[in-house]
Amino acid sequence: MDKFVLLQFYALVKREVLENRNLFVAAPAVLALLMLVAAIWVVSFLPDDRLVSFVEYLGVLFDGLSPTEMAPFFMVVAIPFLIVFYVCCLAYSLNALYQDRRDMSIYFWQSMPVSNLKTVLSKVFTLALVAPLFYIASIFVFYLFAMIGLIIFGVTNDVDVAGLGWMFLASVASLFLVYFSALSATLWLFPTLGWLLLFSAFARKTPLLWAVGAFILVGFLEGFVFGTQYLGNFIQSRTGNFNQYLIMSFGDVFDRLFNYDMLFGVFMGSILIAGAVLMRRFTD
Amino acid sequence: MKNRILRNRYSLLLVTLTIYMAVMVVEGAATGRKAQVMDFENPFFDLNLNNIDGFIERNIEVEY
Repeated sequence: MDKFVLLQFYALVKREVLENRNLFVAAPAVLALLMLVAAIWVVSFLPDDRLVSFVEYLGVLFDGLSPTEMAPFFMVVAIPFLIVFYVCCLAYSLNALYQDRRDMSIYFWQSMPVSNLKTVLSKVFTLALVAPLFYIASIFVFYLFAMIGLIIFGVTNDVDVAGLGWMFLASVASLFLVYFSALSATLWLFPTLGWLLLFSAFARKTPLLWAVGAFILVGFLEGFVFGTQYLGNFIQSRTGNFNQYLIMSFGDVFDRLFNYDMLFGVFMGSILIAGAVLMRRFTD
Repeated sequence: MKNRILRNRYSLLLVTLTIYMAVMVVEGAATGRKAQVMDFENPFFDLNLNNIDGFIERNIEVEY
């Protein structure tokens, strides 16, 4: 691939991250800080002997298990981060193609040698592949501080903390599960992402109302014209179970990313994203 | 044809949504798609929003 095209795409992704650093950087950092403060607050209520036995228990809890086998247990800690990530994704998708029309910076960006296709693809790429990295970095820092705290406590109270190193490796391994969970959830909800991007590019005002209103109207029209409810079924299949957004085992990654339902969803989302790319020519 | 579709934002939206729904209905009819929640395995905890009543009842039973 042409080096200039890669540099151009890198610049577009960097622009997305810088313009949305509140959603991608500040949100997980604040959440990690809050969780750390909450953990310290809870620990401050426990008596020392309880804490000593707790650290000893952690040291031998996963005895005999490899880090990849222990990793799923740490997904519980990552769930608040994933929920915040999904909420931020929704907010980002709704504003991604609306904000620059509102502040008129679209005229500047369209004067640059960058096509609408590249601009929209950079937003999807940022959401699916780049944004989860910042969440993972925040979770890693959270684990690091928690581990340092446990080790300091263990050393000062003469507790054997050798097992904690093994546990730390497991928590690092779990970061890969978090990343794949975020990636697979973004692809699983690709039709929703495409829908929001389409109305983000379409609406002159209140893209959320347009997106929700059009969904209800289209669902009604489908029932009225075809006598079916495939749209409702499609959405229900993708939102009913929270486990759909979590990958708990490394063995599941390939199956989750490459199955018929996932690929069909990506195809349907691509139709809407193609519409969003074309819609970007209307700048008013 | 292309000029008609790209004439204004409303015609483009209409065409995009029509294509989307046409593909959705054809695929749904071809595969007999029904509302089904994909059952992914998670041995660690279980929360199914389609069965939230059952989840709450189960928790109440455990409490008592």
